[in-house]
Amino acid sequence: MLRAEPLYRIQLVLLASEAQDAALALARFGAFNPASGGSEALTQAPAVAYREAWLEAEARLAKLLAQCGDAGALALPSDAEAPSLADLEELNAWLKDVWTACRDCHEATARLDEARARLAALEDTLVRLERLDVDLGRLLRPDSLLAVRLGSLPAENMRRLNEALALSGHVLSRFDQSGDQVYAVIAGPRARHDEVRGLLAQAGWHELELPEELRTHPRAARDWLERAHRRVETQSGAQCEALDGLRGRFGPRLHEARQRLALARPLAEAARVGVRGQGGLAALTGWVPKRRLAALRAALDARFHGRCWLELREPGPRDLAAVPSLMRYPAWLAPFVPLVRSYGVPRYGEFDPALPFAIAWLLLFGAMFGDVGHGAVIALVAAGFARRLGRIAWVGVAAGAASMVFGMLYGSVFGYETLIEPLWLSPLHDPIRMLTLAVGFGVGFIVCTLLVNAWNKAAAGRAGEALFDSGGLAGLVLYLGAVGVVASLAGAADPVPQAAWLAAGGLAVVAVFKWTTTHATLGERLLVTAIEILETGIGLFSNTLSFMRVAAFSLNHVALALAVFTLADGLGAAGHWIAVVLGNIVIIGLEGAIVAIQAMRLMYYEGFSRFFNGDGTAFVPLRVVVNGER
Amino acid sequence: MTPASGDAYLNTRVSLFAERLWPDAELDALVGAGADAITHRLAQKGLALLAPTPEQGGGSLEHRIVAQMLEETRVLIRPLAGGARDFLAFWTARFEMSNVKTLLRSKMSGERAAAALARLAPMGAFGRLDSETLAHAEDAGELLRRLEAGPYAAVVRHARRAFEQSRDPFVLDAALDQGYYEGLVARAQFLETRLGAPLRGLMAALVDRINLVWLLRYRFNYDLPPAQVYYLLIGSRYDLPVTRLRELAQLDSLPAVLDALPAPWRAQLVGARDIPDVFARMEQAGAGQALRVLRGHAPPLARAFAYLILRERDLRALRGVLRGRRLGLAAADIRVAMQRAPETLH
Repeated sequence: MLRAEPLYRIQLVLLASEAQDAALALARFGAFNPASGGSEALTQAPAVAYREAWLEAEARLAKLLAQCGDAGALALPSDAEAPSLADLEELNAWLKDVWTACRDCHEATARLDEARARLAALEDTLVRLERLDVDLGRLLRPDSLLAVRLGSLPAENMRRLNEALALSGHVLSRFDQSGDQVYAVIAGPRARHDEVRGLLAQAGWHELELPEELRTHPRAARDWLERAHRRVETQSGAQCEALDGLRGRFGPRLHEARQRLALARPLAEAARVGVRGQGGLAALTGWVPKRRLAALRAALDARFHGRCWLELREPGPRDLAAVPSLMRYPAWLAPFVPLVRSYGVPRYGEFDPALPFAIAWLLLFGAMFGDVGHGAVIALVAAGFARRLGRIAWVGVAAGAASMVFGMLYGSVFGYETLIEPLWLSPLHDPIRMLTLAVGFGVGFIVCTLLVNAWNKAAAGRAGEALFDSGGLAGLVLYLGAVGVVASLAGAADPVPQAAWLAAGGLAVVAVFKWTTTHATLGERLLVTAIEILETGIGLFSNTLSFMRVAAFSLNHVALALAVFTLADGLGAAGHWIAVVLGNIVIIGLEGAIVAIQAMRLMYYEGFSRFFNGDGTAFVPLRVVVNGER
Repeated sequence: MTPASGDAYLNTRVSLFAERLWPDAELDALVGAGADAITHRLAQKGLALLAPTPEQGGGSLEHRIVAQMLEETRVLIRPLAGGARDFLAFWTARFEMSNVKTLLRSKMSGERAAAALARLAPMGAFGRLDSETLAHAEDAGELLRRLEAGPYAAVVRHARRAFEQSRDPFVLDAALDQGYYEGLVARAQFLETRLGAPLRGLMAALVDRINLVWLLRYRFNYDLPPAQVYYLLIGSRYDLPVTRLRELAQLDSLPAVLDALPAPWRAQLVGARDIPDVFARMEQAGAGQALRVLRGHAPPLARAFAYLILRERDLRALRGVLRGRRLGLAAADIRVAMQRAPETLH
């Protein structure tokens, strides 16, 4: 729970023709994280074509499912095999044909919709032209000196097209608009007609189809328009039937395609990081938990009956940066994990702060927001919304419980300090003691973070930093000595002369370490060492004082309640209770949120930043994915 | 960061980065330098990433140059927010638009998705497109429709409509270039009112140069009619406004266009032989303008933009040197290649 599980690097070598089944077996096994690398003797990449075919097929299937609807839940038989490359390419080619047919169908439907819109626009045009009583036959005469075009274009292109057409002696006049399409007429000398062809294409100009009837006279076009409407509706009906036919024809096989692509996914996914091979052999490389090695051997034996060779080794010091971290948490701790993950993933071998985070965060929240009533409300609300909030609701329940425990210690119920006897003391009655205790907690917290950091550095093989750096044991000695000196000076403890020597010794070791690890000119080394020492001192001092906010917020909680009561006492009986209830709601909502964030901030900045790099890689096992899950 | 500390950060960063720019003489000296000396000089200028190694190919050099530009932009953009951040981020979007063009060409040529993906410049944190999904579009039309549903909708919308009407790759390319630069101009417009002449000067040098070079290429290399040439240019409010561009587009020879330019431009372009020569002179003038902004007391964002313009110019020249040496070209040919090539997004 405090460290990532020990992993082994495995390389599974087998016939390349069985690579897809091996990847499927590893995905079903559920604890294999593919990794790059592998034997340098294997120089080829035999799964690249497989992955490419799978990606294409998957993209086509996704588009088909989006157009034709999903075919329902997917079930994969436990003995189903993954398709070979040839099968996958055949499936990909079939999906391409189906998608082309489906897309043609949809595009034809879209074109019919456009035709419908154009007919409607033409009808509007007709109404306008009827009013003008224009003879379009004369206007659009092919042997006239004036060339006239009727059409539509995107409204945003209108101004510039008008300006450009002027350069070719043409004019553009708008007569209607529908959505972002403008309907316009363009007129210009027929001799320069071809000059604007490219320009009109560039501007997205769409020529309106003009029937002979419309050219004769607007009134004569009525019959034509009705016929055209009927024709479009007939075509549209046929198109709908065609689409339904496609769904009926391809639906069952699409479902089968989904199955086969789900079975092919593991090798395609493994190939993303690299499946190597040579000749007729392929090798899958990755990480497996040590405790599952026997189970892995059994699964591979059952599937391949000895037709594969499994190579195992523990990660070496050079591998550490690339090893993923696999953590296992008890159910009660799992809700806190996302809060740690939002900072980062621990490196392999590094201390995992999830457990101490959960304990310290609850302690800090309870100490800053100690109230039996408020805690109970938070716990009940979180439990009430458990279904909607999911696992994170249990963080709320635990925070509420912590608040109730500290409420008992402080003797506070909904801000009232007289309803129950405090088991310990009310913060407002001894604020100095609260502040001292908060700083003391901070000192203990920072000591723990320095110890953890030294341990992390040692685990990473950086013994020098673990022993002599400001974040290591030397820094810890400096810090403890400095705390002793400050405590003596403040009168909080009896003067201990050794404390100053301890601090000076720690300081000297850190300074020498900085000096020896800085590779620069003399002046620059001096400057770097001085600044680093100063920064270390200021950092430790300010981080310690930062914990005073724990006491400050516990006092603030009582003070806010007092303010609410003072306000309520100035009102009548009904007003009093309304003010008390509303005031408590504000305290729970506003102050509760602030305290939760402050506790998190203390954990992140005063805690994690000292020892937790958060740049590890999470263990992501190869899995069989069905129904679009990831 | 507060605005004051953000400005201080950016000013300091730009000043530090400015030390890494290459004077012309130093670039020229690289042509004849030994491999070790080049590696050393590149490391000194913060370009260790570009140091030539035996196994690196030309394509990967392009990618490393893009990675370098993105990394430096990432550092500069750190204290910025709102419109200023959006402007510099959009300046890097040229590389992503170049990726879009690669994908479109691969769709038109029927190339497999994996091959196209391998040629895309890695955009890192600046990447806004799901390249893998786009690469698996069935054809250019589907790819454009997908792009239109993404963050570059404003750039792509017009290009998609134009392409659907014409099916002409040139129309598509030109519309994408135009859409991108109009997006940049729109983003700069808001900042110019706040930051004043320095940023406006940089944008004017950039947009006017692009408009003039495009006008000359479309008109005299591709022989397009004036109306179409005018339509393909960037809507500009700078030294070559739309009225002037309309006039220029109607002229029928390179000398006639150069004669009709504003007086300061004519002086710079006296004796220009061809379009690459025009481009090189205009770019030289633009670099001078950027250098003045960088070394003056301009607002930090304008200085950062000036630095990025100059840095990219240096990197283009360095690419010429490194690639020329790799191909074993003569020093004289490499020096010719170092002359700036005409500018597009690709």
